[in-house]
Formats: sequence, structure tokens, C-alpha cells
Amino acid sequence: MQIEYVKEKVMEGPRPGFPRQYGPDRLDHQPGIPLFPQEATRDLVTICLLVAMMFFLSAFVTPFLGPARSPQLSELIVPDWYLLFSWGLLKVADIFPQFTIGAGTPLKTEFSAAFWGDLLSGIPVIFLLVLPFIDRGRESRPAKAPFRSAFGIAFLIAWIFTSSLYSIREVVAQRWTAPNGTALIPDGTMKWFFVIPPVLVGLTSYLALRRLAFAPMRRYLVPYVLILTAIVVAQAGAIAANPAALGAAQAFFPEILIALAIVVVPTVLTAFFLFRAPESTARKVSTWAGALGLLAFMGFYGAVAYLDRPTALGWVLSVLWPNMNTLVFMPIFAIGTAWLGTRRPYSTYEYLLNECYQCGKCHTVCPVTKVEDDALGGLNLVYNTFKKQHDGVPLWTCLACDACSAVCPLDIQYSDYILEERRKVNAAMAADGGRRE
Amino acid sequence: MATTGDIRKDTGRTVFGWIKSRFPTVPYADLTRVVVETDQRQLPRSHAEKYELKTIWYWYPLYCLGGISFIAFIVLTITGILLGFFYIPDGRLELGASGDLTNPAWRSMLTIMNDIPFGFIIRGMHHWAAHIMIAAVFLHMCRVYFTGAYKKPRELNWLLGVLLILITIMFGYSGYLLPANALSEGAANIGINMTRASPVIGDQLATLLFGDISTLSGRYILRWYWIHVFILPLVGTALMVLHMGLVWLQGVAEPH
Repeated sequence: MQIEYVKEKVMEGPRPGFPRQYGPDRLDHQPGIPLFPQEATRDLVTICLLVAMMFFLSAFVTPFLGPARSPQLSELIVPDWYLLFSWGLLKVADIFPQFTIGAGTPLKTEFSAAFWGDLLSGIPVIFLLVLPFIDRGRESRPAKAPFRSAFGIAFLIAWIFTSSLYSIREVVAQRWTAPNGTALIPDGTMKWFFVIPPVLVGLTSYLALRRLAFAPMRRYLVPYVLILTAIVVAQAGAIAANPAALGAAQAFFPEILIALAIVVVPTVLTAFFLFRAPESTARKVSTWAGALGLLAFMGFYGAVAYLDRPTALGWVLSVLWPNMNTLVFMPIFAIGTAWLGTRRPYSTYEYLLNECYQCGKCHTVCPVTKVEDDALGGLNLVYNTFKKQHDGVPLWTCLACDACSAVCPLDIQYSDYILEERRKVNAAMAADGGRRE
Repeated sequence: MATTGDIRKDTGRTVFGWIKSRFPTVPYADLTRVVVETDQRQLPRSHAEKYELKTIWYWYPLYCLGGISFIAFIVLTITGILLGFFYIPDGRLELGASGDLTNPAWRSMLTIMNDIPFGFIIRGMHHWAAHIMIAAVFLHMCRVYFTGAYKKPRELNWLLGVLLILITIMFGYSGYLLPANALSEGAANIGINMTRASPVIGDQLATLLFGDISTLSGRYILRWYWIHVFILPLVGTALMVLHMGLVWLQGVAEPH
């Protein structure tokens, strides 16, 4: 019958695209959560919270309507936040050469600023469309794919954010001005925001994520932080060495020097200790240098405005802010990268063991199980560890011979985990004065 | 009237039987019942559940973003239907009583906000649900990107998702064109200029989408109203159903 045919098609047999076995004939125990009422109740809670939030917002934050449309427009037009990136790209598009190809033919193409804006807005879309065909392989957590994740943070988040920021350049230029009336953040500085912060965000995320996945990062960290420090020192030195170029801000040269020192000293300290000292020391220095540098900067910000004449802060900022890409971002990223790249990764269990799907190959090759028995007969080191039943037996019986890692289809480094756990125990004993508790 | 509880035996005596004697619905209804009763009593297990993996529980909240955007879409549909009863998609300029420029669309917005009972709440819901939906869709895309969930075998679903995020952004853009206020005028000007900048067919494309190559005639309001309430919902809903159907078939991509 037709219904039997349909049933057979839908319900039975191993089918490509259907990873699970369905139907009345399925034999295995299904440990999921029932759809009704458990899952349905949980979903209902989410729905109610969401609708309540919408009611709250619409009751207290009435959407703006404003005057009726009119061809005479004077005010600044800002689209909704999700289109700001495109608007920013349209505004920056005039840096590209404008020319016309095929003039006089039906295929005349005018590379105007608006067309460049169209092309630039198309870049994220094209990237998203081709993504699954460039980046292949199996799905994985961010720390296991550091390049993809760092690129995503730099491109999908930082770059979109800086493009959005550029779309309100007029607001920024009006809102923050130097005492002589010029914009505190010039247009050229804001244009560099398209490049410098996203690149720094990407590099820092890459180093931090690789560290999170237990890679030693010193050989990447040291050159990166040293280069950033060299740029900061060179920029600050160029400003300090030539006060005549500061113009009207020259009257506040001592304050400017203090501001430069607050930026330079923590960066140099972090870089020096990262270069010369053990990682744990570099970690502590970067923590303190970053925290104290931030506090000093904020304190300086308040103190100059409070103690000195109020215009002093404006003049100091008129020197610092146009060099934001080098004097503000690079110290932050140098110290932040040193801090993230020297941190000791936490939750070793999740990052080293969690991919296991229990094929049992490791147990088969484990030499310890051939000579040791426990009460249940046949000691299974790996199994006990995965069930978090390490009462000391798997931890101290493992030979760390790595036979299990050699056969593991997912390259799980079991002995790394064992050594890491042993290190924790030893560290705890050392903290207790070297004696067992 | 006593029934036996069996659809086949009750034919002719129930409403369903009345339909059944005219249309061949029983095999499909029967099949649906079997599917519902045997298969879907429980949600399909994720990869992590199937292999009893130790999952990273604190990532779970990120897996509700697609659902949140769909709930927001349902709220948008309901409030949009209600707003449609009162909104007038006519953006042609008129001289008001005191000599200022108005248009019927903007005046109908005033009516919704000031005269219709709960009108400002309905518009507020529509407004905030739109923002929540776009934010949720973007964050959902970020979650899929950062967990690598677009990879084999889910490439097709990722492409559908890219189309859906574009449709969502077009929903938002057409939505803030409709009130025919100053923002609408500015946004329509930017849109017309960007469309006209495309080579060869620029002006024709702008005329197709906006009704004209400038905002002066106000025709863009009617064009984008139709795109907003018919074309985008039609395409969008179809793609959403497909998108969620593929998730159901292929399972949730859960990194472990």
C-alpha cells in the first residue's frame, strides 16, 4: 500500500541526513527531555519574558515619529543602528578613485562614491555567502578554531562596529572639540579606525584563543608586544622631542608629558618583563601595569580638569586623540595581549577531553589495564577519568605512555590531561609548605 | 452519538468523517498521528546527548537566539496586521491647514499614536520587536559562525540564513520608510542614490523599487509598503519554515 511505502520512507532504515533513529522500532534508550510538558514550559517562560520586555519597552519608550517628510531637509540623517555600517562605508567611499569606464557605450559604469559604497557594503554579504565553501571541516568550539574565531571577532564585530562609528563622524566632530574649535578626533584618525582596531582585535583574539586551547604562545607574544611597544615609544618620543610642533598646546607641555608617560611606562614595563622574565612574573606585571595604568589615566583625566585650568584637558586631548590609533589602542592591546597570552588556561577537563565519543580504542591499547585489576575486574583508566571518578587510581596509575593518544581518532591528549591534573595536586602541596596535608 | 474512537469506523458521523468521505485525507491524518505519537514525544537528541558528552552548559543560552527572532517575528506579524487596519500607504505631499507639508501616511501615523485605543502600544510593540528580531538574528549568526555550525552538512542552511538576515534588514529598512517622517525621507534618498549608482540598470532599478528616481512624488511609500507587507513576509516565511525544517532534519550543531 501507499501508506506502507511512505512509512517505510519516513520511519525506517539508515537515511542520509537523518542522524538519529526514529520510529516505534527504535530500541535504544532515549535520554532527552520530553517535549511536553517540560520543553514546552521552558519555551513558554522564554516567550513570556520576551513579550513582557516588549510591552515594557513600548509602554515607556515611545518610538519617535517626528515631523512629516519634506523635501527641504536640514537635519543630520542617521539610519537605524543595523544599517549604520553601510552608511559609514558609503561615507568613507570617497577615498577611492572615481572614474568612468565604457563611457559612450550602453555598459557605461561610473565608479562614483555611491557605487563604491554599494561594493563595500556587498563585501560582508559575499564573505558570508562563500564562507562554508572556504572553511571546511567539522564544527568546533571557538578555541579549537582560533583563526576563524579571531577573524570573526575582527571582521564581523570590530570592523562592523568601526564602520558604524564612522557613519556618525559629524556627531563625533561636533560633540568633542579642542579649545580652538577644531574636531578632537580628526577625520583621518577616524578613517584609520577601519584598519588599526580590527587588525589589533584580530591578532589579540588569535593569541588569546590559542592560549585558551593550551598552546604555548611566547614566540608569538614577544614579537607582537615588542612591535606595538616600539610604535608607542616612537610616537610618544616624536611628540615629546618636538614641542614646537604642538602649536597652542605647547603651553601645557608638562601635562602632555605626564599623559605620554602614563601611556608609555606600563607598556614598556609589560614588554620588558614579557621578554626577560618567566611567564608567571610577566603575567603579574601585565596585570598590575594594566590596572595601575588605567587608574592613572582616569585619575589624570579627572585631576587635570579639576586642579588645572579646564582648558588644559582639552589641549592635552588635542595631542592624544588624533594619535588614538597608536597612543591609546596599541598600549591597551599590548598589555591586554600579554595578559591574555600568559594566563594559565582553566577548565583543562573541558578543553582536553570533551571531544571523546567513547569509541574505546584507548582502553584497548592501554598497557596498565593488562597488568592491573580493580575490584570490578579490568581497570579502565580512561573510562574512570571521563566519568570524573578519579579517586587517585587513574591519576597515579597512568604511565603517560601516550598509547591512547596515538590511537585516538579525535587526537585527544589524554596524558596531557593527566599531567595537568598531577601538576595541580603538586601545586596545592607546594602551597601547603611542601608537605602532604 | 457514541463514537468508537477510531477515525475509520466513525466515518460519516464526525466532522472529520464528513470531510473524509469527500477528500482522501485519512492516510495523511493517520500518518501524522503515528508520527506525533511515536516519534516526537521527545525532542531529538543532540550529538552531545547521544554520546553522553560533557557539554559546555554555559553556551546553551546562545542556542535560543534563533527561537527569539522567530517569536519576535510572530509578534511582528500580529501587531503588523493590527497596524495595517489603520495605516494609509500614501506618501504624496499635501499642504496642511496651517500651510505646512503633510501627507496621508504621516497623518495616519498620528491617528494611530493619538486616537486609536492602545495604538501607541501596538506601534511600540512593532517597533521594539523589530529591533529585538534584528539584534537576535545578528547574534544568532554570530553564534553559528563562532561554533562553526555552517560547515558540512549544513552549508545550505547557512545560505538560507544569509538570505534571511538580508530579508530581515530589508524588513527593517522598509519599516522605517513607512511613517513618511523626516527619517523616512532621508533614508529613501540614500536608498534611491545607492540604487541609482549601480551600473547600467541603476535608474530602472530605482524606478522599480521606489516608483521614481526621487522622493518628491512620494510613490516610494506605496512601493515599500507592498514590499513590507506582502513580498518580504511571503519569501521570508517560506525561507524560515525551510530553515527550521533543515535544523529539525540535520540536528543542532553542538560543539563539544
